[in-house]
Amino acid sequence: MAIEEVFSSKGRVKILRILAEIGELNISEVARRAGLNYTTTNQHLLVLENHGLVRHKKFGRIRIFRFDEENPRARMIKKLIEFWEQTNKPESNHE
Amino acid sequence: MPQYFSVFKDESKLDINYVPPRLPHRGPQLNLLDQFFRFAFESPGKMTQRVLILGKIGTGKTVLSQHFGLNITKEAEKRNINLNYVHVNCRECKGSLFMILQRTILKFYPHFPRRGYSAEELLQALMQILDEENAYLILALDEVEALILSEGSDPLYNLTRVQEERLKAPQRLSLICILRQSECLEKLDPSTRSTLQRNVIHLEEYLKPQLEDILNDRVNLAFRQGTVSAQTMILVAELAYSEGGNARYAIELLWRAGKYTDASEMREVSPECVRRAVVSVYPVVRKDMVSSLSLHEKLFLLGVARRFKQTDAAYVSMGEAEDAYAIVCEEYGEERRGHTQLWKYVKELSASGVIETKVSGEGQRGKTTLISLPRVPASDLEQELSGILMQGGR
Repeated sequence: MAIEEVFSSKGRVKILRILAEIGELNISEVARRAGLNYTTTNQHLLVLENHGLVRHKKFGRIRIFRFDEENPRARMIKKLIEFWEQTNKPESNHE
Repeated sequence: MPQYFSVFKDESKLDINYVPPRLPHRGPQLNLLDQFFRFAFESPGKMTQRVLILGKIGTGKTVLSQHFGLNITKEAEKRNINLNYVHVNCRECKGSLFMILQRTILKFYPHFPRRGYSAEELLQALMQILDEENAYLILALDEVEALILSEGSDPLYNLTRVQEERLKAPQRLSLICILRQSECLEKLDPSTRSTLQRNVIHLEEYLKPQLEDILNDRVNLAFRQGTVSAQTMILVAELAYSEGGNARYAIELLWRAGKYTDASEMREVSPECVRRAVVSVYPVVRKDMVSSLSLHEKLFLLGVARRFKQTDAAYVSMGEAEDAYAIVCEEYGEERRGHTQLWKYVKELSASGVIETKVSGEGQRGKTTLISLPRVPASDLEQELSGILMQGGR
């Protein structure tokens, strides 16, 4: 996956940001927080999972997604998001 | 700002959820619990345990279990065993196995989805989590009466039998069931009952000197030195003893007496403050009990209390209570719940002992549920509830 494919989709970036912030969530909750519908969220998550950025755990019918910490790319993207969010706060000196 | 003196050093030590480092007069029972769960260290995964803790209100059931839970998980950590203790109050969970399991799973997965599956699926998910994390769980079901009354035998049957479906898999889920009266167990099917009744810890009511020891410990933890005299402590112990050896009542009385002392800007908790506190604490209207009610249960109870204030009758009918509730709902700008829901509230409030109910007999046309308020003055209950609702304690 070319890097622009991840970052050019606002939905995917939103999903990654939510997962970076919360840790792990089921699809409906990711969809609710991202303001996307279930199907779109599911599709984004599948793309991200196919490229090793997120992974899911299954509990019966429930799937819970999180960053795939074993993938160095996923770790770096998570770090980038965390840094971005941290330096985005108004009281920060990094503005 | 004016200097403010308080008799309290740390009033959180009198909180209902506080687990003290020492449990006076519950040593033998604590040892018994340790013995029941020795296998958790010696052969984890080889067996599970079910223990029943029985005792009247304020006999230390909850604190005993929580104290044990803290100790055993600390010890397990030292031995690198992933043992977890989760304490759930079934009444707070409205007697629903689904909510009980959900609260349990949230300890492991704080963002586990809150809806969209059944209790059975949730139980399977819990077992899966335990397997994946190689964890063991002691699930303490406090006030398990609420669960039995609301869902019957099935939840406990499923919880005690979940291991049997997992042949050769490690045994991971142990249960501690905490309840006030053993009569409730008669509602269980014989096999579940016999499984549960194998290990029973019975807690007797505290005696006066025992209550004094408990109070002494709490005074040292919560109050500034020299602010509570021995005389005051004896008075509190006597009062709590007359309430059936109820230590929880004793501690709440002490806390309220301290609050009255602070409010009167005195430097010592006097027996007079205790007497004032007695009037304001009714054993059945404890803070934790009232605050654990849902908004509409509070509104309904407020309606009942107001109705009783207007009448000298010993009973009000369900219809009268509903009318009073409707007025309260209007006052608080809430949409009223339907009859079936209110009837459920009546059953729950009756189970917790705040109200009593009986079915109308001869002399009244038709059949209705009659509600009485036997243990607490209606005006005090109204004041307590209005206070909580006013503070936004919804």
